[in-house]
Amino acid sequence: MTPTVSASGLSLHFGRTRALDDVSLRLSPGVTGLLGPNGAGKTTLLRVLATAVPADRGAFTVLGHDPATSGGRQEVRRRLGYLPQTPGFHPDFSAFEFVDYVAILKELTDRTARHREVRRVLDEVGLGDVRGKRVKKLSGGMRQRVALAAALVGDPEFVVLDEPTVGLDPEQRMRFRELIARAGEGRTVLLSTHQTEDVAMLCHRVVVLADGAVRFDGTPAELTARAAGRVWSSAERDAGAKAGWRTGTGSFRNVGDPPAGADLLEPTLEDGYLLTLDGAGAEVTA
Amino acid sequence: MTATTTGVPSPAVTTTAPRPSWTAVFALAAFEGRRLLLRVPVLVAFAVYLAWTVWRAHRVGDGHPALQDVDRATQGAPVLVGLAVLLSVHQAVLRSRRYDTERHLSVLVVPPWRRTVAHLLSVVPVTLLVAVCVGVQFTWQALKPTAVGHGSPAELLVGPLSVLLFGAFGVLLGRLLPVPAAGPLLIVFLFLFSVFATAPTSTGWSRWLVPSVGENSSATLPSDLIGRPAAWHALYLAGLALSVALAALLLSGGARLWSVRAGAAAAVALTLAGAWGQSRGVPEETAEARVRATVAPEKTQRCVARDATTYCAFPEWGPRTGDWAEVVDDVRSLAGGDAHERPLTVRQRIEARYGLDGDAALAASPHPGEVTVGTSWGGNRTPEFAVAVAVVLVTGREEASGAVCDGRIVPVMWTALAGRPDPVADLRRVRLDDSVTGGAIVLSQTETLQMTAAHTEVLRALLDLPRDEAAARVKANWAELTAPKVTTQRVAQVLGLDAPEGEDACQ
Repeated sequence: MTPTVSASGLSLHFGRTRALDDVSLRLSPGVTGLLGPNGAGKTTLLRVLATAVPADRGAFTVLGHDPATSGGRQEVRRRLGYLPQTPGFHPDFSAFEFVDYVAILKELTDRTARHREVRRVLDEVGLGDVRGKRVKKLSGGMRQRVALAAALVGDPEFVVLDEPTVGLDPEQRMRFRELIARAGEGRTVLLSTHQTEDVAMLCHRVVVLADGAVRFDGTPAELTARAAGRVWSSAERDAGAKAGWRTGTGSFRNVGDPPAGADLLEPTLEDGYLLTLDGAGAEVTA
Repeated sequence: MTATTTGVPSPAVTTTAPRPSWTAVFALAAFEGRRLLLRVPVLVAFAVYLAWTVWRAHRVGDGHPALQDVDRATQGAPVLVGLAVLLSVHQAVLRSRRYDTERHLSVLVVPPWRRTVAHLLSVVPVTLLVAVCVGVQFTWQALKPTAVGHGSPAELLVGPLSVLLFGAFGVLLGRLLPVPAAGPLLIVFLFLFSVFATAPTSTGWSRWLVPSVGENSSATLPSDLIGRPAAWHALYLAGLALSVALAALLLSGGARLWSVRAGAAAAVALTLAGAWGQSRGVPEETAEARVRATVAPEKTQRCVARDATTYCAFPEWGPRTGDWAEVVDDVRSLAGGDAHERPLTVRQRIEARYGLDGDAALAASPHPGEVTVGTSWGGNRTPEFAVAVAVVLVTGREEASGAVCDGRIVPVMWTALAGRPDPVADLRRVRLDDSVTGGAIVLSQTETLQMTAAHTEVLRALLDLPRDEAAARVKANWAELTAPKVTTQRVAQVLGLDAPEGEDACQ
């Protein structure tokens, strides 16, 4: 299958800080999770792929279009839906107006068709009933859904979502997961998140980024499998564990290299993620 | 489904030419234009503008508009709309920066310089709306059967062009100084600039740098004597609006396009051409025509004879001779002796030598039997003209009116006012202090009259009589009533009225 996004050797520096280091990846339809600690370069990578900032080195294409050229960049943007980490809103706009405004900037110029599309995406994110309400009167979760609708309007083939579930309560997060899962049907979604549960529930693929470099690229099951036989339970915190924390039962859950005869536990995606970061030299906190 | 990091080949590239996104620009302009029309400052400014325009519509020229004045009267109020547009457009341009949506919106297809084009185009609907208002305002007056003169399309363009200019300033400011306070500060600056540019001490050319240029005089001149460089000023405003708009485009990334750079150069050239044209002052031929119209109006006037009266008017006022004739006929019908058949010439006269720089008084006509009529009509002007006609019928010369300070004032004022629908109201109108008792100055196009308290007392008593009865008494005693030096006491006695008790000495 031809990948939607094909990136090769992407690097970007901000002064002396290396934000991206030779990142190569291919993305195909479905939801791909991008995990990584703060400062790993997730947002930078998304901004590069969203054509917001150019990479110092390397190249990438979206559906064959090279954003390094002016024409290619326009073509990429025509196929792009982008939800930034902290999306701003025009508070005096209604939800409908804001998405309509974004739709115009995406060159949806036929007024009737555009309005139909705006209504469709607002219905899709569950805001059909409040589309006339001003953005400043909406709750945080609703605003986030407005931003998602703005990213999805025009049915883009490539959708970039930068930590869309941050700040949402569990119910809103669950609702958002449904929306993202639906968005991933038939299009390529790159989802940056801190939440390993998001990746576990939504993604067919996961990329772990640390220090601007890709540390893992595979399925969630493969990432989980990295922790197989490396998670165990103990009455006290095991000094040899890479990470350990007291669970609700009072026992400690340890991740790392277990001592002989340890009481091994079923690993989770988060365990695999923590061990991947540890291998990458990232600070593992628990 | 794949997401691989190893062995990723260099991406295959599809070459495509960028599609034009002008339809998106127009769609965005429509979106921004609709929002602009619904902004509170714009709505308030429009409400005030419309209220002011409707209020003024009933007062222009006292129902007898001269279209060369009406066109200029459309220019001031749109400036208010323009200022509201400046503020609102500036806020709209700053919107993304204020609410931190730039990072989000910067990856959308329509590039920033085209968004600037859309903001500039968003001013067009407001401009067109103002143009419609100006058109309706002018047409409303022009369709009145009492309207005279000719309007100037260039003068009518000033209001809409002002709105366009202020809108362009709002966009430029948003690109130049992206802080919300810059809009109000620019308005303060523009206000101060207009104060200095139009100050009486400023040179003539500087006052034409502001959009709406008023005049010191309220006099109405024939349209060919106005001498305002209206077309040059419209060109200047259009060029300036275009220059400011293109400067905003240059600042938004349009500088790489040769068409924008060339357009900016052309717009600056237009502005300079307009500024040069409007600064040249009054053309020599206009100045000569003004002198001719002032000192020898008969050379440019057309005259029509009706009964014993000849009416001479500047060509644009030809239709108004009928109104003058009605007044003359009314006054003649109430006069006695040979007054109803004495030859009269009603001559329209103006003081045009100073243009519209200031109001200058007209001297009374030195020609026997000639009555001066001005370029305005309706309101106070009509009874003032009736008084002037009566003075000439009684004294024979207009310039003698200043010296009439005896009992003749009573028949003069009575013949002037008794034929009017509401004589007492008109008496109030022609008196400087709007009084109907006591002594007062009586206004006229040329010389003023002086009424003493005794004159007023006898006149009021005469006006209180049934008109036919009063007319019979006046006509029967016309010779004695209009004899020089006749006293007010004698006039009252002759007319069978009580002797006046008020003071009877002219100041």
